[in-house]
Amino acid sequence: MADLIQLLTNGLALGSIYALTAIGFVIVYSATGVVNFAAGQFVMVGTFAGVATLVNAGWPMPVGYIGALVVMALFGALFYLIVYLPLRASPIVTVIIGTVAIGITIQNMALLTFGSWPFPVPSPFDGMMIDLGGTVISAHAIAVVIATGVLILLLWLLMHRTAIGIAMRAVAQDVKVARLMGLRVQWLLAFTWILAAVMAGIAGLMLGPMWFADVNMGDPIALKAFAATVIGGFGSLPGAIAGGFFVGLAEVLGASYVSSAYKDLIAFGVMILFLLFRPQGIFGEKIQDRG
Amino acid sequence: MITTRRGILSLAAGVAAGAWARPSFAAGEPIAIGAAIPTTGPLSLSGKQYFNTLTMAEEDINKSGGINGRPIKFVIEDTGTSNSTAVSAFVKLVQDTKPPFVFLSSYSTQNLATAPEVVKAGIPVMYAGGAVAVSASSNGWMFRIRPTDSLAAHGMAQFAKILKATKPGIMYIQNDFGQGGAQAAAKQLEAAGVTPVGSEAYGQNDKDYSAQLLRLREKGADVILTFVYPADGALLLRQIKALGLKTPVIASSASFLPASVQLLSPADLVNVWGVIDTFVDASVGGRMADFVTRYKAKFGQDGDAYGLAYYDGALILAEGLRKVGTDPKALRDWIASQKAWDGIGQTFSFDQEGNGVHGVAVVKAKPGTKTLELVERLKLG
Repeated sequence: MADLIQLLTNGLALGSIYALTAIGFVIVYSATGVVNFAAGQFVMVGTFAGVATLVNAGWPMPVGYIGALVVMALFGALFYLIVYLPLRASPIVTVIIGTVAIGITIQNMALLTFGSWPFPVPSPFDGMMIDLGGTVISAHAIAVVIATGVLILLLWLLMHRTAIGIAMRAVAQDVKVARLMGLRVQWLLAFTWILAAVMAGIAGLMLGPMWFADVNMGDPIALKAFAATVIGGFGSLPGAIAGGFFVGLAEVLGASYVSSAYKDLIAFGVMILFLLFRPQGIFGEKIQDRG
Repeated sequence: MITTRRGILSLAAGVAAGAWARPSFAAGEPIAIGAAIPTTGPLSLSGKQYFNTLTMAEEDINKSGGINGRPIKFVIEDTGTSNSTAVSAFVKLVQDTKPPFVFLSSYSTQNLATAPEVVKAGIPVMYAGGAVAVSASSNGWMFRIRPTDSLAAHGMAQFAKILKATKPGIMYIQNDFGQGGAQAAAKQLEAAGVTPVGSEAYGQNDKDYSAQLLRLREKGADVILTFVYPADGALLLRQIKALGLKTPVIASSASFLPASVQLLSPADLVNVWGVIDTFVDASVGGRMADFVTRYKAKFGQDGDAYGLAYYDGALILAEGLRKVGTDPKALRDWIASQKAWDGIGQTFSFDQEGNGVHGVAVVKAKPGTKTLELVERLKLG
């Protein structure tokens, strides 16, 4: 039982990161139709924004976190201006390849800027453990799960209870009609990229203390988040969340109760099964053509 | 501007005196030496060290007169993270640069893939990966400048016995290096009458090891032997402490590279021993202190044992080139004949399979610090 509690905590913490990255995938895909294959690098940039503010600049934690998220917002806006806008009229395959190319570029720019050595990233809960009668749980892992829950709630409120969120959903449903209704579509699309980058930044800041900051950390996250998105349903926010937690738990519990050597087979095997038999995922709609 | 005769004569005398006082720099057509090493991607964490130490060796060799007056030049190609890139990098070097000698990567999977091309090219190479299979396919052209994985595993198993462990568990990265090391350690332990209670693997991109560690705890492991790469080695040690495990750990060399240790706190290193290639520390004194000090001053970070192996390898090569020239076969025979070449990190004695290193060192962090101290040297080969 003690082992199970530790495994569940770690699986949920890992799943939280995948879920936040998958949310980034989904909100960009819903609004623009682009599968952003640089999503993993967005998380990496978020972690290194934390390295820059918290480690290199030595800012106090609240200021450092806010600074890192401002950097991420600017990064999202830049990505929209430099990558998405010039390519938006191109065939979708071109845009997707563009995100792959820019992902590789971002990774190598990080390598040139920060070098190949990983960095330790501080957490407000550094060294804090919760001892439940012999079962030791990392306070940071618990904080990650709680913070992800709060973020999901805030995101739901944004999307359903604010004018900008409702407008974003309108754009996601039908760009032309949204434009005819007088919505400022380009601003909303820019905001979508900024929101995705900030979500990735939060994931990166939470992930840094768990994994260290490493310029190569983006790819494994992107792969798992992509599996989570497929399993949950492309375009579905609840799907991204459920898929993220499923992949995180499958990874940790699978390694423990099935085989550590084949644990990734579980998540990716399930993803392949979904692609074969239920390509719309758990929550996705059967017909997802955008207007 | 100097226009008087006296001024011109003074200037000429000054230039002549300066030239006399300078060390004898090499001149003429450089001797190009290839180096196919990882400079981008995850493997560049250690590859950057080889890049740095080869750069440093090039400068040092040339400052001391080069190769009989000719400068040496390392031409570096990136092997990236894949085996195919490593093979392409080697082939490109051979075709474009036509070097008499090439340094290869320290990653055994890349070197195994490149081995047939080395034999085909017929030029000697040095490499740092530990997999035993590499030397078996080298056909006499490949020289290993780090301990083999089985040697390191032997050292780890021997030290587990010193710790009086009776139920060792093994944790390894799932590739040729990790599997080979884990199997060799299990074999050594069984030969000593101790059967490992469990052997757990993790993937190269994995970041959570809690399941594997808890399984080893469940099986009652009283020591954990780890075969790891640098960043995951550090993460593993941190997660052992985060899970509240008090089990002693004997870690392979990557966990104790400066790149790994800087990620850890002193608490993460409690009850952890490292079986490493050699103790790279200024306290050793002599040439080691000089290397450590100069590396830090030049590159702004600590040098490690892997990088030092390449530096020593470059010095062996330079002496070989001075003595027998650039004929690949003569160079190969000369390197193979070295039986007690006194390097900074090791005394190199190349056996019939081209393995040059036959000992390891055990280190531990001083209590409450991250400063490493030498526990003992194990001569095994």
